[in-house]
Amino acid sequence: MSEPRRIDARGSYCPGPLMEMIAAIKIADVGEELEILSGDRGSAEDIPAWIAKVGHEHIKTQKIDDYWSIVVKKIK
Amino acid sequence: MSGLPLFIVLCSGEHEKIQMAAMMASVGAVSDRKVHVFVSMNAILAFEKQPAGVGPTYQGGHMSKIMLQKGVPDAIELFRQGKMLGELTMKACSMVMDVNQWDLDHLVDDLFDGMEGLTSFLSSAEQGQLITL
Repeated sequence: MSEPRRIDARGSYCPGPLMEMIAAIKIADVGEELEILSGDRGSAEDIPAWIAKVGHEHIKTQKIDDYWSIVVKKIK
Repeated sequence: MSGLPLFIVLCSGEHEKIQMAAMMASVGAVSDRKVHVFVSMNAILAFEKQPAGVGPTYQGGHMSKIMLQKGVPDAIELFRQGKMLGELTMKACSMVMDVNQWDLDHLVDDLFDGMEGLTSFLSSAEQGQLITL
């Protein structure tokens, strides 16, 4: 199992991490997993909400020190 | 596309309201909604093309200062991202452009899809959700 591609959006404020993740999802292959790192508290809730709305798969959200790691799988 | 199209009338020149419009427009556009933005009144001033090296000139208060200090994503860049990643159209109010004697070349590049009158915009907005800032 390969490691998910990582997008480091720490230091960016809402909706920056979401927009960076969406740009990466656009060019990802279906089935690929991406990990977004964000220090923005709102994004830790907004990103899983966006994933659910548009129909990708939210694998996990994990708080690590002062940032969040959110893993998403591109479904379509 | 799911959800009602979102129509945003942006007429305030305040940075805080322009930022909110940009956040709603960009997030809406990437969330499978069509978004249409109509820029009028003092808001158009924030979209005036500036000399090279000069960023947008925003009028604003407390939150504007903090957002600029912290490097929150720039409103104009958010609108551009919304266009790039979703279905977002931006129209400049034809009345405001007329009274300023401006054409589209006077506004920032790669953002506006044309000019439109309020009557036409409101007519289209009957099909969706209208927000005014």
